[in-house]
Amino acid sequence: MFHPKQMSKLLIVASKQQLDPVITELYRMNIFHIDDFVDKGDEQWEGFKIGMPMTGADTISASLVKIRSIASAFGVGAEQVTDMEKARIAELKRSIEQDLPALAEEVEHLLSQRSKLEASVKEFEQKIEALRPFTDAPFPMELLRGYDAVSIIAGTVKSKPNLNVPHEIWEYTQKSGEFIVVAVKNSDLATVERGLLDLQFQKVSIPEEDGYAPAIIADYQQRIAVIQTEIEELNNRMAAIRDKHKYFLMSSEELLTADIEQAEAPLRFATSDLAFTVVGWVPTQQVTKVYENLDRVCGGKVYVTELEIEDYNEAPPVEYNNPDFSHPTELFMDIYSRPKYTEVDPTLLMSIVYPVMFGLILGDVGYGLILLAMSLGLRSLVKGSEAGTQLINVLRNCSITSIIFGVIFSEFLGFSLPWAPLWFSRHIPIGVSEGVHHASAIPQLLVVSIWIGILHITLGRIWGALNASKMEHGHHRSLKMYANIGWILVMWGIIVLIWSKFPIILMPDLTGMPEIAGGLNVATIAGAIMLVLGLAFIARENVLDLMEVPTIISHVLSYTRLIAVGLSSVAIALVTNFIAIGMIISPQLENLTPVGIVLIIVGVVVFLFGHTLNTALGILGGGLHPLRLHYVEFFTKFYRGGGTKYNPFGMVRRLTEQN
Amino acid sequence: MSEAVAAEVAVEVAAAAASAAGLKAVGAGLAVGLAGVGSGLGEMGIGAAAMGAVAENKDMFGLALLFTVLPETIVIFGLVVALLLMFQ
Repeated sequence: MFHPKQMSKLLIVASKQQLDPVITELYRMNIFHIDDFVDKGDEQWEGFKIGMPMTGADTISASLVKIRSIASAFGVGAEQVTDMEKARIAELKRSIEQDLPALAEEVEHLLSQRSKLEASVKEFEQKIEALRPFTDAPFPMELLRGYDAVSIIAGTVKSKPNLNVPHEIWEYTQKSGEFIVVAVKNSDLATVERGLLDLQFQKVSIPEEDGYAPAIIADYQQRIAVIQTEIEELNNRMAAIRDKHKYFLMSSEELLTADIEQAEAPLRFATSDLAFTVVGWVPTQQVTKVYENLDRVCGGKVYVTELEIEDYNEAPPVEYNNPDFSHPTELFMDIYSRPKYTEVDPTLLMSIVYPVMFGLILGDVGYGLILLAMSLGLRSLVKGSEAGTQLINVLRNCSITSIIFGVIFSEFLGFSLPWAPLWFSRHIPIGVSEGVHHASAIPQLLVVSIWIGILHITLGRIWGALNASKMEHGHHRSLKMYANIGWILVMWGIIVLIWSKFPIILMPDLTGMPEIAGGLNVATIAGAIMLVLGLAFIARENVLDLMEVPTIISHVLSYTRLIAVGLSSVAIALVTNFIAIGMIISPQLENLTPVGIVLIIVGVVVFLFGHTLNTALGILGGGLHPLRLHYVEFFTKFYRGGGTKYNPFGMVRRLTEQN
Repeated sequence: MSEAVAAEVAVEVAAAAASAAGLKAVGAGLAVGLAGVGSGLGEMGIGAAAMGAVAENKDMFGLALLFTVLPETIVIFGLVVALLLMFQ
């Protein structure tokens, strides 16, 4: 909690005969994060080189390429194969050897046939397009070519041409302009072309066909239809092959991926002539498992030891260590940056605070229910995508808090629920008749949001001091810690100063404290001392940081968005209801007429449109603003990020048996 | 005579109250509107640059989002001022 999983650094050394069992066992366990060996010419690694892939790696990768190309041609993905018995590896290997070449050849043959057919369809379609302008011509196409002394040109012009040389012309008015076919003596061709250019002549090449254009087009269309049925047949055959071999393809893809990763693993190891060694990270809880299992598979001929981590900045990989309900929020952490191993991991806090902020902004039972339905309905859409599932789960959590806050604020699509708001009211007097309206308490809500900001930022600074104590060394460490305390002192100093001068609702009133001198009371002086002390602490670390002091106020006030953005969505809902029901529907209901019924339908459309828009805005506003408060106002106080993702060597087998 | 004067005064008082409420509304509108223009101007350059950065490197998304939304606090301040004007 608030810290990633504890990792231990392991060193494995064995003779090269043990290479195969060690790799297989590490891959099976799927917990060892390999630190790739980089040959930098270090003295302590003298005599070691990067290893060579195991024998057979090239044939495996050749088969894998074949399988992947077939799968992509068929559009088969791993997510389409579910609920199947796991394939036996021996059988699968045999069918990869025996059946794969034939299957690949067949698919290749079908694909090339299909692309040939598709190419000829395209060719015919182009010919049809070229013939289109001539469909109404009263002459067969063969008359347009084969003359020695006469040239024939065709094309579109803006308006009817007026040619002053002997010529034959056929004109046809189209949407885009005049289509003309002109026959002139060869000697007059240049003159005619020049004359036509003034009319924005666009030349069309004359297709070399025989017969009248409509008949030729009909012929081509028939041929296309024949080819289309052939393509259809091919597609059916491919679909049959696909359905038959889908499972084989995906399971062998999985098997070969696992094989190739294992065969290429020595590329990440350091090897000498007779031995190899590999360094990596394992969650501390599972270290003994690695010891025992490797010992067992190698019959004791392997040396495994835990290395001391000298400098935590050499960065163990980071694996989140959170309760289940916090997993969706890890998405937001990864979008920003994965935490470093040594720093505080705020995921757990964010997984609670983020939905609460979302609920505070949206706070409406109706919208909450819509979002809940969306998060349940969209679940099948994002199947297979981890980030998508996380996002949907975040939406689900947020919709639940929205419903809770909706009950508290007594809001349902902008209407009031049958009870008065249980807490401060957000109801605004828009289109509400007297009596139903609950007086709004907006200043109180704004103060509540400022309180959230003060506490959130104070916690951020405390964690900042904590991070400094864990991650920095020597003199710099204490400077950084004191600077963080300084920021807290400055913020609270300013707050106490304000309290001592102005009474504010929902905040301690310190104006009545005993006066000391010159109208300054105890609180004023205490606040001033805190402020000055804090400024001194900040300046000790870096004088330029004093420039940032005004951000204390802007960051705290930034939290008022929780209420301000929420109120704007309340206002949109109220206005929608007022226009749709108050202005359009209710006046018609009093005196029903046929026109009135149409107007009522219009009112319903306005109602639906307004609330759809507001739901979309609610997701955007409710989702982005809390995210921003975390990223900008909260994380900048302590969070560093930049940790490496824990990526263990191995895979979770879905379709094949574990060997 | 005095009744007529009283009525006139009452009308003037009502008119003054109405124009005060109207000016409040105008002020609230200006607060949100001008702050929105300011935020928009601020985000304009940042957003364009952030898009470019994300197009080159997808990992920049989080940081790009952060930079893009920085100036938008201004419009929130405008919104808060408007709310206080209207509802306090």
